[in-house]
Amino acid sequence: MEKIIEINQLTWQYTDTDHPALEDVSLEIEENMFIGVCGPNESGKTTLVSCIKGLIPHNFIGSYKGEVRLFGKNIRDLNAQELAKYVGFVFADPEAQFTSMSVEEELAFGMENIGLGSDEIKERIQWVADITGLESLLDKSPYDLSGGQKQRVAIASVLAMQPRVIILDEPTSMLDPIGKDSIFNICARMKEELHMTIIMVEHTLDRLARLSDRLILVHQGKIARYAEPERFFENVGELLELGLNPPASIVFLDQLKQAGLYDGPMTTSVEETIEIAQSICARKEAIK
Amino acid sequence: MTDVIEVKDMHFAYRDGTEALKGIDLTIKSGEFIALIGQNGAGKTTFAKTLNGLLKPSQGYVKCGGIDTSQKRVIKKLVKEVGYVFQNPDHQLFNNEVRKEIAYAPKNVGLSEEEIEERVTEAAAVAGIKEDYLSMHPFFLPKGLRQRVSIASILALRPKVIIVDEPTTGQDYRQSVEIMEFLKKLNEERGHTIIIITHEMDIVAKFAKRVIVLCQGKILLDGDTKEVFSQPDVLAKAYVKVPEATRIAQALNRFGISRDVLSSDELWDQFQSAISR
Amino acid sequence: MEGAQNKKMMKTLLALIPVESPLYSFHPVSRLLLFVITGFIPLFINMPELNFMFAVLVLLLFIYSKVALSSLKMYLPVIICAGIFTFLTFIFFPGKDPNYQVIGHIFGLPLYDQPIMNACIAYSKILALLLSSIFYFSTNRERDILAALRTLKMPFVASYVLGLSLRSAGMFLEDLHTVREAEQARGLDYAALKFTDKVKLYSMYIIPLLSLALRRSDEISNALYVKGYSMKNSGKRADYILTKYHFSAADVVSCVILVLLLFLIIYFKYRYQWFDANHSLLQTLLK
Repeated sequence: MEKIIEINQLTWQYTDTDHPALEDVSLEIEENMFIGVCGPNESGKTTLVSCIKGLIPHNFIGSYKGEVRLFGKNIRDLNAQELAKYVGFVFADPEAQFTSMSVEEELAFGMENIGLGSDEIKERIQWVADITGLESLLDKSPYDLSGGQKQRVAIASVLAMQPRVIILDEPTSMLDPIGKDSIFNICARMKEELHMTIIMVEHTLDRLARLSDRLILVHQGKIARYAEPERFFENVGELLELGLNPPASIVFLDQLKQAGLYDGPMTTSVEETIEIAQSICARKEAIK
Repeated sequence: MTDVIEVKDMHFAYRDGTEALKGIDLTIKSGEFIALIGQNGAGKTTFAKTLNGLLKPSQGYVKCGGIDTSQKRVIKKLVKEVGYVFQNPDHQLFNNEVRKEIAYAPKNVGLSEEEIEERVTEAAAVAGIKEDYLSMHPFFLPKGLRQRVSIASILALRPKVIIVDEPTTGQDYRQSVEIMEFLKKLNEERGHTIIIITHEMDIVAKFAKRVIVLCQGKILLDGDTKEVFSQPDVLAKAYVKVPEATRIAQALNRFGISRDVLSSDELWDQFQSAISR
Repeated sequence: MEGAQNKKMMKTLLALIPVESPLYSFHPVSRLLLFVITGFIPLFINMPELNFMFAVLVLLLFIYSKVALSSLKMYLPVIICAGIFTFLTFIFFPGKDPNYQVIGHIFGLPLYDQPIMNACIAYSKILALLLSSIFYFSTNRERDILAALRTLKMPFVASYVLGLSLRSAGMFLEDLHTVREAEQARGLDYAALKFTDKVKLYSMYIIPLLSLALRRSDEISNALYVKGYSMKNSGKRADYILTKYHFSAADVVSCVILVLLLFLIIYFKYRYQWFDANHSLLQTLLK
């Protein structure tokens, strides 16, 4: 598959700090991947994705070494409009990113910016409202919605610009479980049906681990791990040490492995883990 | 244990007529550690705000330490009974020095200078705020510390009950556990009754002793944490999912693993004894 | 939020507006014109009774537009305060004029006819303007206001900045509410405070409100950037929202009538001195 994002030896330091937020980071991301980004707070997750979106260096002050290439082009040579066509970005706090007075305007705003005509905007609003389940809310003020609906508006407004990549920075941290589920479902659909590349930063690993093709662990400004979930969770102890909270089913599977009761591949699915445990129990019962 | 809060057939309606709480009955005893859970819009925050008189019930009553919250001019008495820590520290820090911030509430209730000084030192120490920070401006502290300052500013009133609204939002797991360990210490060592509002079931399972599940303005379940989480079907009505370890345990129930397992460690212990039996 | 469907009124950032209203079939520009004309015509009229009639007319418009009159209660303090201030000013600072006639006494001060008349005129104008402003904000969402301004060719950037400020005003009020609750949670009994302490208190709100605003402005600048917006190259762009509004025949007719009314009033005022205070019934009564 085509490499669409290439980061080469990137070091970035915000002006008001004494450590670089990212240090000598190199990374390649291929098209149509779901990439999960995790790590402790202040480890550099948001900085990393801000570099991929071009918010850094365009909208922040600091020292920048190395380069980020998007679809083969150096990110420093792209302006806000061009970047918006390649990469969409969704923030943690949906309310903080609203710029308009109704859901419909909110969806139209980005498309107006990238120079689409009114007819095309109308079509795309229908399309994106359908995907994100917002048809009945178009006329409402974005502030009158529930948390999950607000975040869906935020995603839809970015999706409407039809970027090739969508970055979501802790999009569910302010949502309740239903809200969280709805966001993850939409992201899964965007990857499967629209063949987009999704990069999602999250604290809670359970849902993320289950959807991601690859997981990135950022620690102290560096990429500590970059692998498929099965390999990513091979060393659960180290993740626990870093203060992460791997899903209980993975911890359990790891314990089974350590005890020599299971030697198959790591799975992120709870159902599979339950089946594995049940068959172990059944086997033991049969022996007795 | 004495009752610190008594709620009787309490209803609450917003000014536009929306009824957010529809008949709540419960008592909270001194020294409990309670998690208030449920979907957004279920009425958790509204309920919590009625407990310290920020909102007055439209029907029924709430009594804190025997004081009816509907009475007039009881704020100063109520805040000594129930402290409320808001979700966003930025909404509750309005002094230009951490020291003044912590002294603010004791000053409001009219304590003496000496007493205030003593309370500030105590609250800062309990909340783990170093001496150096006391003279700093709260605005320039990192978020975790701002949250501690907001808790300290409530602690300075030595309230019997402390309500913390979503203490772990936006924190990573390590920070969440740290803040919860701190609340646990307040509960176990200093005897405060703690009520947290949260969506994180792992945190609830690990720390809370009693769980109250709200659904559409009513109490759906109220009981011991283990007892509540062993009813996944009822919880599903409030869109609450049990912790993953509990779910696995429940699927393995027929092999002798109990349905009320709360943590990975507990699951592993029970699993080991089940297969070696 | 569950019961939102069967509610009659809904919230905007600034006021409560009816969910359905016959006024909504008019173009935002017509509605803006209605506001300007009902609010500003009284400024040309020095006959209080006529201005009060305008106020009554606006009240009738409230009923026609299905705005709950109870929502006016919220503004009652402003309406009453404005009245008290106006009358007190004219009573205590009447100015000097040999033609003034004493018509009574209050607090030992002589009450003159002309200043009282002037107070009535000023207050009737303020009242008409207040009511029509309340009416405007009770029947227009923020997007209608912006659509009206953009149709009138206000530059996009300017209308956008206006929109963002409306939005921040709303958030500011919400923040203020939470901050006040947080104070109450720390034992502040607002009702028991002296007036001077209340004033001091407001200066304290500046810290949290400013810090929230600062953090937010950072966020919004990033949000604008990621949506491809930059002030520099915001030249030609589609204005999608305007395609949702259309001028109807009723709009044209009502606009023409409103503008005509304005011109007639100005014409008769300056050409024939109609609407002067000495034509006023109240004036005759006071004499």
